[in-house]
Amino acid sequence: MARRSDHKTMSVEEQPAVSANPLAGDPELLNDFILESREHLTSIELQLLTLDQDPGNAEAIHAIFRGFHTIKGMAGFLDLDAIREVSHEVETILDLARNGALEITGAVIDRILESKDYLNRCLTELELMLQTGQPPGATDQAGLIEGIRSLSTGGGEAAEVRGRVGPATEGLVRLARGVAATPGEPAADVAGVPAPGNPEAAKVMETKTDGARSIKVDTAKLDYLVDMVGEMVIAQSLVKHDPDLASGLRPRLARNLSQLARITDDVQRTAMSMRMIPVGQLFQKTGRLVRDLSRKYGKQVELDLEGEETELDRNIVEELADPLMHMVRNAIDHGIEMPEERVRAGKSATARVRLKAGHQAGHIVIQVSDDGRGLDQEQILRKALERNLVPPGAELTETEIFNLIFQPGFSTAEKVTDVSGRGVGMDVVRKQVQKLRGRVDASSVRGQGASFLMKLPLTLAIIDGLVVGVGQQRYIVPIFAVREMLKPSKDAISTVQGSHEMALVRGALAPVIRLYQRFNVKARFEKPWECLLIVSESGGRQFCLMVDELIGKQEVVIKSLGDTMQNIPGVAGGAILGDGRVGLILDLEGLIDANDRA
Amino acid sequence: MVAAAPTAALKVDRRAGKYLAFQLGNEEFAIQVLRVREIMGIQEITAVPHTPNYVKGVINLRGKVVPVVDLRLKFGLPEIEYTQRTSIIVAQIANRSSKLLIGIIVDCVSEVLTLQAADIEDTPDFGSGVELPYLLGMAKVKAKVKILLDIDMVLTAQEVMSLGPLGA
Repeated sequence: MARRSDHKTMSVEEQPAVSANPLAGDPELLNDFILESREHLTSIELQLLTLDQDPGNAEAIHAIFRGFHTIKGMAGFLDLDAIREVSHEVETILDLARNGALEITGAVIDRILESKDYLNRCLTELELMLQTGQPPGATDQAGLIEGIRSLSTGGGEAAEVRGRVGPATEGLVRLARGVAATPGEPAADVAGVPAPGNPEAAKVMETKTDGARSIKVDTAKLDYLVDMVGEMVIAQSLVKHDPDLASGLRPRLARNLSQLARITDDVQRTAMSMRMIPVGQLFQKTGRLVRDLSRKYGKQVELDLEGEETELDRNIVEELADPLMHMVRNAIDHGIEMPEERVRAGKSATARVRLKAGHQAGHIVIQVSDDGRGLDQEQILRKALERNLVPPGAELTETEIFNLIFQPGFSTAEKVTDVSGRGVGMDVVRKQVQKLRGRVDASSVRGQGASFLMKLPLTLAIIDGLVVGVGQQRYIVPIFAVREMLKPSKDAISTVQGSHEMALVRGALAPVIRLYQRFNVKARFEKPWECLLIVSESGGRQFCLMVDELIGKQEVVIKSLGDTMQNIPGVAGGAILGDGRVGLILDLEGLIDANDRA
Repeated sequence: MVAAAPTAALKVDRRAGKYLAFQLGNEEFAIQVLRVREIMGIQEITAVPHTPNYVKGVINLRGKVVPVVDLRLKFGLPEIEYTQRTSIIVAQIANRSSKLLIGIIVDCVSEVLTLQAADIEDTPDFGSGVELPYLLGMAKVKAKVKILLDIDMVLTAQEVMSLGPLGA
């Protein structure tokens, strides 16, 4: 085995020296390498987690081996020594494992996972180098490696890798043997091994077989296509509802128009689906987190995934990664009890964290739940009072209490840990989800666990909006932000200190924002009881937006107003309305924020 | 920009070409035809709050949202009612980072001129302290003077952005 590895190293080193390799500095090749390696690393991680559950899974070991092997080969080709060496070391370990000379233990997997992370960092570093415009060339290539190395000296593993470069193989094999011989304390032995886990190989195999059926497309092109298709759909509906056509529509024209509508509909769906990726990719990432955290805290946690095949806009998936991590972290850190405690409470020692995705009424719903101790209403209320988040003596419903945990600065962790408990968790989650035009709610049964429900739009490109009118102007209010609409009675409106208007909505007072005043336009009605109030909520507070009338409901494609008008308070963007005019999409949160400052 | 050009000859060469002439009040202005994307009649403009008064709002240009500026207000001329002759010239302007389309409202579009280098004169010196960076020069056509505008300088994205909060 050792000889075999030696041979490999040799063959890699037969490559010309750094400066002599014309391919090493090619940014395109490097970019391809980064992309491909990333894919491999992802699939390696997946396989590793499989292996963690089922250490005897030979197929997984092979897949991981292939991944690292491919990365090693490519890195050698590109003279990326640090990556090559790390991959090589891992490959050696895996080779031992697949020949039955090494038992796969948690420690081995930890080590390989760490190497995988290390490689990931190398790739990020590489990417950074390429982006910061360092001209590619022989000298820069050297600088690149130097950068990667210095990166590695930063972390423990990196230092190890460096030190090991010389007698690497020998040391590794010895280490590996040590691991095999002393299964009792494998961690210490393996610790010396910088195991670069590269999941690329498996991915490469996949791409090879898939090659004929899929191509890679620049996401910018895809986004543009989706935008344009959105336009087409609107243009199509403009034609269809044109008053000139509607009067005296001949059967043939009607038939052709509905054919056009069908086709545009199809095109839209297809274009959208191209940007969709299964949410499973997102869930996979949490698998690693659950494993790491449960080991760290000595809690026994099993991760249940459901609805992984549910597809979501790629842009949303990317933005959702952090909030999801936060919630899973919170669940394990705060929610789940230690095994003994669980047994005492009559629950099984192994806790379950459940991620579930699915469709619901045109939305994607993602639920993160655990069967831990649940949210403690009294504790939450006490903390909220301490932090002045609620006025003393306030009567709150259960839901309102749970929603307090989304307030900025709220944290119920008794002690600050490095994982969670700094009180920057849930409010960040809610901010992010709101940015995606979704909402998140908490629910819990004491002693039986907590559940967080995120409701998100299927896509970011189109929103459902209410078209409202103020004087001659038309505005679009995103429906997700609207709680209810009402025409207030005269006595529901009260004035505080002569200037601040409040409306009584279901027993609660909410400030009234007169849109025409804010935007300095002429309204048709200036008395609140002649107008329509749109009740919305931002940052946990209700407020009412006063507009003249509701004109209709329309799906609109969100457009930027361009560089010149990017940060206008209260305006989120523009959209083409049914009559071809531009309507401004309101940013309700921006409006209420501006109200606070005023 | 142009004033900084190293030699007069070079400057003049660059200025020659086709221009779209339009009227604002009693004056005739012209911009380079190559910058003009489209000329359209006045249409409904969606007002955007918290912008300077000369930014009239946005229009829909075949699915694109394009900001529109009233050049009269921008140049400090009195505002007038829009008429049948009022036009929006959609021009492409370039600044350091990007190219963008902007609509310019003018009283009326008159003609397309072909100007030779000899027709064009430098902007006369109006005395110290008067800086007119958006003037490319003056052209004499049939005994009338047309003011050549450097459209990039007339309205830069930075300007609109920096003025934005003031209009609030």
